[in-house]
Amino acid sequence: MKIKLFYYNTIVDLLLILLAAGILTACLRGNIGNPTPADLQEKLWTNDGPLELSPERGRFALTYSLIEDNSLSFSVPIARFAIPDLGYKNGKYVSLFAPGVSFIVAPGYIIGRYFGISQAGTNVVIVLFALANAILIYRILRRISIDQTSARLAALIFLFASPAFNYAVTLYQHHISTFLLLGSVYLLLTRTSWTAYAVIWFLIALSIPVDYPNLFLMLPIAFWALNNTLRITTTMQGNILRISMLKLFSISAVLLPLGFFLWFNNASYGNPMQFSGTVATVKAIDQNGKPTAPENASITDREKYINPEKQQKSASNFFRSRALVNGLFILLFSPDRGLLYFAPFILLVIPGLLVAYRLASHLTVIMLSIIGINILLYSMWGDPWGGWAFGPRYLIPTCAFASLLLGMILSQWRGRLLYTLAFIIIISFSILVNTAGALTSSANPPRIEVLNLEKLSGREEKYTFERNIDMLREGRSKSILYNAVFKQSITAWGYYKIITGIIISTAIILTILTLYKSKLRL
Amino acid sequence: MKTTLPSEITLTLPNAPGFVQKALQYMYSNMQALIAIILSAISVYYFFMYLNNGLGLSYNDARSHLDIGRRVVEGLKPGLAQLGSVWLPLQHLLMVPLIWNDWMWHSGFAGAVWNMISFVGTGLVINALLTRLRVGVVGRLTGVFVFAANLNILYLQSTAMTELLLLFTMTMGCYYLLIWHTEDTILDLIKSAFWIMLATLVRYDGWFLLGLSGLLVMRQVWIRHAKNDGWNVAWSRMEGITILFASLAALGVFGWFAWNQLIFGDALYFALGPFSAHAQQLVMEEAGALPTKYNFWLSLKVYFYALLYNSYTLPALLATIGAIVLWRDRTLAQFTSWGMLALLAPLLFNVLALFLGFSVIYVQGISGDTWFNIRYGVMLAPTIAILIGYLVDRAHAFRLLTIGSLLFVLFFAFANEDSVSIDDARVGSSQKNVSEVSGYLNTHASREKGFILISAASHDAIIFSSGLPMKRFIHEGTGLYWENALALPDRWAKWIVMRTYDDNDLTWKGVSKSSGFQYYNKVAAYPFADVYELQASMSGQLNTEPILGKQK
Repeated sequence: MKIKLFYYNTIVDLLLILLAAGILTACLRGNIGNPTPADLQEKLWTNDGPLELSPERGRFALTYSLIEDNSLSFSVPIARFAIPDLGYKNGKYVSLFAPGVSFIVAPGYIIGRYFGISQAGTNVVIVLFALANAILIYRILRRISIDQTSARLAALIFLFASPAFNYAVTLYQHHISTFLLLGSVYLLLTRTSWTAYAVIWFLIALSIPVDYPNLFLMLPIAFWALNNTLRITTTMQGNILRISMLKLFSISAVLLPLGFFLWFNNASYGNPMQFSGTVATVKAIDQNGKPTAPENASITDREKYINPEKQQKSASNFFRSRALVNGLFILLFSPDRGLLYFAPFILLVIPGLLVAYRLASHLTVIMLSIIGINILLYSMWGDPWGGWAFGPRYLIPTCAFASLLLGMILSQWRGRLLYTLAFIIIISFSILVNTAGALTSSANPPRIEVLNLEKLSGREEKYTFERNIDMLREGRSKSILYNAVFKQSITAWGYYKIITGIIISTAIILTILTLYKSKLRL
Repeated sequence: MKTTLPSEITLTLPNAPGFVQKALQYMYSNMQALIAIILSAISVYYFFMYLNNGLGLSYNDARSHLDIGRRVVEGLKPGLAQLGSVWLPLQHLLMVPLIWNDWMWHSGFAGAVWNMISFVGTGLVINALLTRLRVGVVGRLTGVFVFAANLNILYLQSTAMTELLLLFTMTMGCYYLLIWHTEDTILDLIKSAFWIMLATLVRYDGWFLLGLSGLLVMRQVWIRHAKNDGWNVAWSRMEGITILFASLAALGVFGWFAWNQLIFGDALYFALGPFSAHAQQLVMEEAGALPTKYNFWLSLKVYFYALLYNSYTLPALLATIGAIVLWRDRTLAQFTSWGMLALLAPLLFNVLALFLGFSVIYVQGISGDTWFNIRYGVMLAPTIAILIGYLVDRAHAFRLLTIGSLLFVLFFAFANEDSVSIDDARVGSSQKNVSEVSGYLNTHASREKGFILISAASHDAIIFSSGLPMKRFIHEGTGLYWENALALPDRWAKWIVMRTYDDNDLTWKGVSKSSGFQYYNKVAAYPFADVYELQASMSGQLNTEPILGKQK
């Protein structure tokens, strides 16, 4: 019987992984072909294509330069492509983004190039990280004895009922950062060997070149690992400090990622301690390939654009405590970026926090710490909207840990019919919203830009997920599979309905399964 | 021979040396003294820092407060009557022993010193109140830290404003009220009444606290006695104790009514007189600059933004959680939660004052593109600190998370030098850069004899910033000098400083109708005032000495 159950569960798990991989592939953004620098100036690849926003372009530009030009600095055509988030240092155009993502997706680019889809190849790497994140959520929950159905649901919710879906099919850092966080937590929960700790410290350090603020998000995990390495116990004889020497030695694993990071900074910016965010910015390039001022630059700003070396930037000004009020509102409640609009399943987590705490107090505290730091950090960030974006993209780690908490709560509140009903309604809504984003575009303007945008475009500009719904109704999707295979036979709207239908049906079936053998009550 | 790294090392940590243990024990048992020393050092450091960087007296009102104190001891008509009716008198009375000294006047120290003492005192009372709530040392120190690690508080304690003195007196009043709630000792009720009485003489926020604490006293006595002793006994007890409390707590309020009646002939002069806040707000209302009046949601929104900006948001949010936990805490002494309610008086008062149009706050982004009175958001700073200290104590597993997140936000607050109260004073509507006109006066009038006719109600900042002695100025508070100078300016004033064509400027209103005004030339024009100088040919009959002697 036990063996039968094992096979049954393994098959279900494999089917779910295949289903998730299939859906992500169906939504993967890309174009067929290996783009040349000239192609990358075309709208087909930029605004109307898969590299629509500067975070994607900036990271892809570095990958492209690394592989095609064997260079950490950009040629002029690639620099033009990377604008407006383009750095300038020592007379060279350089990346304005932390380098980790560009290096990590490079194998995807190379394999993709072999098949004639180099750009889509980079996005496939992100899809793999997204799948790995879902699996890690499942594994972490199983580790703390959460039933399989709840764990599966939690993993699916993270993947398809949060903005994580949108950022799983395009070139952003969020899934890699989340993977490093979840991976470290998983290892801390399951492994005690010094080699596992070496991997943990490696992941902690690797998170910095992936995205600098990860340094703060990783703090609770670092404290946890350190606490397991240096243990103080109070006995009759006094305080005893137990130092696990091998675990202590494992901290040296941070040297490898940090060494890479310092090397990159030195090679790109001529200074190992220079962060890419503090490099001078170029917003326009003239016909001679030199930095110039963009058309809309004020007279006072023109000088600093023409001579970027005169720009003064400081890392300490990235986060501002005064921005916290506005940032919290934007990230949690605003219709253009609020977590409650784009991942309303968070509402199902809040009432059950105590349940989660009773179930796994230490893990819950760690997870709440990461969520707290994530929300606080990006609320203080100068641009909590994340530029033009779909939902609160900075809060994808929060979505991951909130999914974990939801899995814990679900396992305890199985059979509560009202909660289950609310769960189905909220999750279905979340899936509808986030699938629309994944199939179309991340380029939703912040609300504050809409009035100016309407003046320019002369039409109503939406800033919520309605913008994505409208795109689908107009027959626009950026899915490589849809555009290459299904466009002739089905509308984008129809494609969207099929995909949402599959995801919602799966979620509902899993939800109903949670009721099986549980004591039903209101 | 092969050597391997031991997998684990076990160290028995030696106990700290005896003298260290003794020192720690001493510090623990003398926590109040330790807090007092640290806060005093911080207080002095920040006072001199703001003095040296020129921000110390950026608030227009700070200079006015100092001038009021100075006029009591120096001027053409010194005396207690100079306390006036615009502001409540305690801060100015406290300045009197120091304000005679020119450095203490012009550095603002005479006013700031009471705020500095209040800063230290408030830190101590936060610690004491948390001790009453049975909060451990970590929670208590966190509470004090949250209060002190706030650049808005540190700035306001370094300048001659009234907020810190109010916070101290109110928190002391609440502290003793809490003790009375839990222990029912009449002496603590009297102490509470005393501190609340002082608060009523600092700002009108204290009057609201008086009302709220009065209601809390009544409720508490009724609850204590109604069930066991019957309604009649409860009623008489309530009557007696409330009268006892109010007779001291309301003394300041009645004293203020009496003062206004005595000096200005109208007990409500402070509320309805021409220089009252009410009169100013009528002008603002006519100009459409009082948007919160009769708009409850906007009043609530504006005050909450002021509160969040002044507290760096996270502490206020954590304090809200602390308040909920405290209200539900059954381990505390009976009636503690009710006793703590008085600490919320500033929140209720400020929202109500905005709604009724008695107060005005501008928040950049909500009320146009400027700040004004945003510092009122600090009024809940001790409450927030106490609730956070309590929360940290009760948070157990979340203690590190709570403290860590606070440190995280406060680190950036200090790294960004984030202080809305300083911004208001520097570039908001609470600032008044009169350096040009006061510089002119200093250059031209310091070496020549002759009085300067000026309205203190409109231009106290110019008087202060000119650096000239108070006795060089003829203003509304100088009795016969003022009346004579308005009628015959050419006999009394070598210079006139006023806003030309503005009847709200009392100097212009009086002088422009006099025949002597024709003998003046406008010698300088600045954004806040113009300077007129008497023609040289008329200086023969000009009085340049205070010849009117002592006036009543």
